[in-house]
Amino acid sequence: MIGTAVACVQAVMMIAIAPLITGIVRKFKAWMQHRTGADILQPYRELAKLFRKDETVSESTSWLFRAIPYVCFATMTLIAFMIPFFFTGIAAPYGDLIALVYIFTLYRFCMVLGGLEGGSSFGGMGSSRELMMSVLIEPSLLLTLMTLCVLSGAGTDISGVPEMLMSMGVLAFGPALLLAAASFVITVVAENARIPFDNPDTHLELTMVHEGMLLEYSGRSLALMEFSSMMRLVIFMTMLGTLFFPWGISTSVEPLHLLVGFAAIMLKLMVMSFALALLESSSTKFRLFKMPNLLTASFVLALLAIISLYIL
Amino acid sequence: MDLIIYENIIDICAICMLVITVMAVMSTYMRKLIQLFAIHSLFLAVLAFVVAFYTDNSHIYITFTLTLVLKVLLIPRFLDYTVERIHVDKEVRSPISTPGSLLICTVLIFAGYLVADPMTESLTTLGRNCLAISLSIVFIGLYMMASRANALSESIGLLLTENGLFLGTMTISYGMPLIVEFGVFFDIIIAVVIIGIFAYRINRTFNSIDTSYMRRLRD
Repeated sequence: MIGTAVACVQAVMMIAIAPLITGIVRKFKAWMQHRTGADILQPYRELAKLFRKDETVSESTSWLFRAIPYVCFATMTLIAFMIPFFFTGIAAPYGDLIALVYIFTLYRFCMVLGGLEGGSSFGGMGSSRELMMSVLIEPSLLLTLMTLCVLSGAGTDISGVPEMLMSMGVLAFGPALLLAAASFVITVVAENARIPFDNPDTHLELTMVHEGMLLEYSGRSLALMEFSSMMRLVIFMTMLGTLFFPWGISTSVEPLHLLVGFAAIMLKLMVMSFALALLESSSTKFRLFKMPNLLTASFVLALLAIISLYIL
Repeated sequence: MDLIIYENIIDICAICMLVITVMAVMSTYMRKLIQLFAIHSLFLAVLAFVVAFYTDNSHIYITFTLTLVLKVLLIPRFLDYTVERIHVDKEVRSPISTPGSLLICTVLIFAGYLVADPMTESLTTLGRNCLAISLSIVFIGLYMMASRANALSESIGLLLTENGLFLGTMTISYGMPLIVEFGVFFDIIIAVVIIGIFAYRINRTFNSIDTSYMRRLRD
């Protein structure tokens, strides 16, 4: 009973800090580029402003266009309840890792439909590019998560993975985990439309992928879409921090353990935000036709991870 | 417990070598290839050091030193110098696309695993599981030599293959006899020097180090 309550609290907390993490990544990036940068609470203000604004919807769209932001927000909220944050218990234990991948796919599918609904050429372009990336991301995401399942021996049970990995001790920290994590890092960057794949800061580039699909949205719908993509970033970072490197996460509901778990995950999120900002400041955006190279590399890494479980 | 840690370090080094080999297949810039080869050799050196430390065998320390001095420092320097002299930094044409090459690599890795699997059961050495990885590296190196048209990247393929063989000997029999190892190292140096000189000559004669031009010699 207490476990479920703590699990709910952690899910709500994950949703609440999503804009904060985006703000922190932006701040780190600003520092690396010798700018002062906006306040780390700025994303909250942006969202609040968008929620207050009126919405403009094109006449050529159907009811689907209005429904999609709610679907996107709901899928991300669901995932936030499905994965552990600082405590291994989860509030929605009915789904497994495979369902997780396809809920992400549902989110992406809805976003692509939203991009097409507006009828603008930018939306269509963004959608087709997003689908091209999605085809390449999905197999490697599935393979990395399956590596985790086999390595930990927990099957597809999400909260079992960190517990089993921690009980394995040093043995877990082998080549399979490192390869899977490397592949997952590429997936995180690609999935969240960060710089080698897409530029999250601008609407002006002709090369945009993710922003292109959101161009037709405004007001509350835009706020929901932006919020769910912020949540997606936090969820992916948390997956890296709790499923791949779970050390520090709390397995019991004792207050001290929970506190340690919270400190550990926040530290991991800070390190990952810094690494993401470093990556974005030090690399350039790929040409669209070079993206398959890196994504195939991610697939090969994932495949190597799962093979190495049997070879080594 | 100690044994597990040693094996983990060896496994991680071997898998890093495999990943770097795959990265070498991806990249087309000469300088990056040379850097990758240096890192590849560095992991081999670390692995040799761990094996030497575990078995307390003095000739593996010598192998480790030779690998570090020759393959991590000297050979990459010399290849860099060659690249500087012939002003070729990027391979323009590649007959097989990068994703295609990567997928072929995964097939080769599977092949290495299938070949090595029946052999590893009878072995009792520390890193016996790495035989599959070393075979995969050898296969991928050979594939790189076959698929690239550029004389220098072909030579990098040769060097990677050679590193793969060293990994194999290191893990199944704790290295070769010292005299054989000296011979192999000497061979590598001579090979690299010849490759350097040849690349320069090929570049002077054909204005390119693309080896497919050399078919014209047949008339």
